[in-house]
Amino acid sequence: MTIDQLLVYFFGACAMLGGVLMLVARHPMRVALALISCMLSLAGIYAMLGVHVVAVFQVLIYVGAVMVFMVYVIMLLDVRDPSFVRRYSRMLLPGVVLGALLAGALGVSAVRLGAPAIQPGASAAPSYLVQPFSVEFLREYWLHFELTSVLLVAAVVAAIAIIRTGRRSDG
Amino acid sequence: MADTQLLLGLSFVLFALGLVGVMVRRNALVMLMCMELMLNAVILALVTFSLETATLSGAVLVFLIFVVAAAEIAIAIPIVLQLSRQRSSLDVEGYDRLQG
Amino acid sequence: MKLLTVIVLLPLAGFLLNGLLGRRLGRTFVSIVGCGLPILAFLATLKAVLLLQAAGPDAALLEVAYRWASFGDQGFDVAFYFDRLTAVMTLIITGVGSLIHVYSTGYMKDDPGYARYFAYLNLFLFFMLTLVLGRSLLVCFVGWEGVGLASYLLIGFWFEDPAKAAAGKKAFITNRVGDAGFLLGLFLLYWALGTVNMDEINAAFAAPVAPAVSASLVGVLLFIGATGKSAQIPLHVWLPDAMAGPTPVSALIHAATMVTAGVYLVARLHGIYEHAPEASQVVAVIGVLTAFFAATIALVQTDIKKVLAYSTVSQLGLMFLALGVGAYGVAVFHVYTHAFFKACLFLGAGSVIHALGGEQDIRKMGGLWRRIPLTFGTFAVATAAIAGIPPLAGFFSKDEILWFALASQHGGSAALWVLGSAASLLTSFYMFRLLWLTFLTPSRMSHDTEHHVHESPFSMTGVLIVLAALSAIGGFFELPHFLEPLLPIPAVAGSLEHYEHTFVFVAVAVALLGLAAATFMYRRGLARGEALAARFPRLHRILGGKYYIDELYEAVLYRPLHWVSDRVFLGLGDRLLIDGSLHGLAALTRRASGRLSRVQTGQLQWYVAMAVIGVVGCLVWVWRHG
Repeated sequence: MTIDQLLVYFFGACAMLGGVLMLVARHPMRVALALISCMLSLAGIYAMLGVHVVAVFQVLIYVGAVMVFMVYVIMLLDVRDPSFVRRYSRMLLPGVVLGALLAGALGVSAVRLGAPAIQPGASAAPSYLVQPFSVEFLREYWLHFELTSVLLVAAVVAAIAIIRTGRRSDG
Repeated sequence: MADTQLLLGLSFVLFALGLVGVMVRRNALVMLMCMELMLNAVILALVTFSLETATLSGAVLVFLIFVVAAAEIAIAIPIVLQLSRQRSSLDVEGYDRLQG
Repeated sequence: MKLLTVIVLLPLAGFLLNGLLGRRLGRTFVSIVGCGLPILAFLATLKAVLLLQAAGPDAALLEVAYRWASFGDQGFDVAFYFDRLTAVMTLIITGVGSLIHVYSTGYMKDDPGYARYFAYLNLFLFFMLTLVLGRSLLVCFVGWEGVGLASYLLIGFWFEDPAKAAAGKKAFITNRVGDAGFLLGLFLLYWALGTVNMDEINAAFAAPVAPAVSASLVGVLLFIGATGKSAQIPLHVWLPDAMAGPTPVSALIHAATMVTAGVYLVARLHGIYEHAPEASQVVAVIGVLTAFFAATIALVQTDIKKVLAYSTVSQLGLMFLALGVGAYGVAVFHVYTHAFFKACLFLGAGSVIHALGGEQDIRKMGGLWRRIPLTFGTFAVATAAIAGIPPLAGFFSKDEILWFALASQHGGSAALWVLGSAASLLTSFYMFRLLWLTFLTPSRMSHDTEHHVHESPFSMTGVLIVLAALSAIGGFFELPHFLEPLLPIPAVAGSLEHYEHTFVFVAVAVALLGLAAATFMYRRGLARGEALAARFPRLHRILGGKYYIDELYEAVLYRPLHWVSDRVFLGLGDRLLIDGSLHGLAALTRRASGRLSRVQTGQLQWYVAMAVIGVVGCLVWVWRHG
């Protein structure tokens, strides 16, 4: 058992802990922090696995952009909101049971279907370092890359539209 | 590679945790964050498969999921803001006007 | 030029013009179109007759208008066939039809439905011409149904009156019963012979190898169709009610033309009946019974049109008697003379009704001969003609019918002659009764009515004069002889060969006896007739109730059918089964959706839970089938 493997286990445990904390934490800010720690642990796992690109994006986009945004919004909102005080909905018990059921079902599926087969003819393991990955990515998948910009533009327009309709219904 | 099983299991557990969070928490923002957790679980699974099959496409899908997550959050946050302004609460149990 | 097609299509054009444009373009236009096109058709028919005469005695003109349907190497053509029989029928239809159109311009002058009336009348002519000119039974059937439709429309012409609308329905529905027989006969013929062309059917039955179908069965089936159209027992009930229509319609459709369609059909298909003695026997017996019983009913009727209606039924019975004993030409001869004098009688009755402002009860008439002399004169001639007084038209045809009923070797018998002569005696009696009570006895009219009596306009009286003249001289045209190349005259039993003239005298004596009896009874008015009725109250009631045939049908057919329709088909089938199943389905859906809609709580997290259940279900399914 190498140090790498140990680190993977460690980060995995951290991620799981973060997930559980998300469920039990009362205040949204704590939930957000738990999520951030979970994400960072996952980033650590990716780094350990050598998938540097994903690790970098995980930190930059998720933690750096999405979660910062989220934390900012949490700070904006009223802390005395009843939903901040009472954590759980009526679905607590059925929700937990169903979640366990789903996890079990997924696990059984994975065991039953076995590991995905290695594609024949696949050359040596591709590099997930930033530079070779980026070159390969833009050569093979440049169209998808460009199409994502369309998605983002649509998201921006939608966000603006939501804000405006909110204003109109207010006024 | 035992790691594969382990990572997949971790992915499933995280996904289930996120899902339970969506189902049991009252706060809309917390539900959103739980959804992020589910997306992260999916990313973990994709990375694992990508390594296992030694192909790039898994990582490419991860990239697309990042984009989707960014777009999602860009729309979801304004919606949450509007909700909190109009109903003065983020309790999803209060949002039940559409019912049969 | 397709002359026959033109004859058929001219009235159709009139129907379309009057039906579509008549209301807009006014009465003059309607009159010109409505009368002009039938007259043109009559002229075209005359031309066709001339062509036919030039071609020889048993020639025929044949015209294929177009191919209706084709399958394999076979097909149905809409073809028109014109031989001497058709010629006579077409001349009657277009000739008498045109006259009645002209008469109608006077009779219907003030009716708001003037254009509609002429449109229907032209439509009737179109279908009637299709019926007689059609070469195939199928085309004939189209006309057959079409005249039924036109008859329905015209009987119920004043449809605001429910009784008149009901009379139209009764005529139509009664005819359907007969049509079923017609259709079955048609199918049977097509199945056996592979053709529905009437000349080919006749030829097939005349061939040395008999066709593989019972001529009697076909004959009886087609005769059932004829009983419906020609108002023979047991389907005669519609014709008296059909008098609800305008009087010229009664004259044209329910006396002169349409009701003789059955006679035409049997005469046209005489090839079948010549080889079907049983069917011929049925035709003769039904015919003579109808003639006799209708005549007895006519004795006690008090409505002027009803008397004429039963007289029509009776005369049609005599025609079928002639057909049944193989004297097809004689039957057509009677169709021809009957068309003149019955049309004249009906139109005269119309003129009387017109003069009295709608009064139809002969008990409230009398003394009209001074006031409307032209109508009286023509009516008297036609009455004498139908009674069989020589030398008027009816005498010739009726005398020949009775002679063949006795002497024909094709089923003639003394019983038929006795019943036929009795019917003839009764005819003479009730017709002169009608004449006395309407015109000659002292007036029984109310003062008010009497004041308004006036002679009809020339458009009506002129037609009456023409028809009376034809009734007087029509009999001198030896029609059976003219038709002999087509419709053979049956051989006469040897023992009777030399007695023909004796029976002529007997027939004349019978007619004069009827005249004398009617004169004795009704010369002074109603008193003697009523005394006689009081002597035999039960008989009088039965006759007045028309033997209660309508009531019998109502009890035996209508009530059970109504019960079955109401309880079983409506109550059980429609309401319970069909409505019930649909309503039940709807209620089930509504209740189920009511239950299911509770699933949609509006709770976001409940939806997520359901989605998770679905996902787990999918996974389990994948384990099973993956």
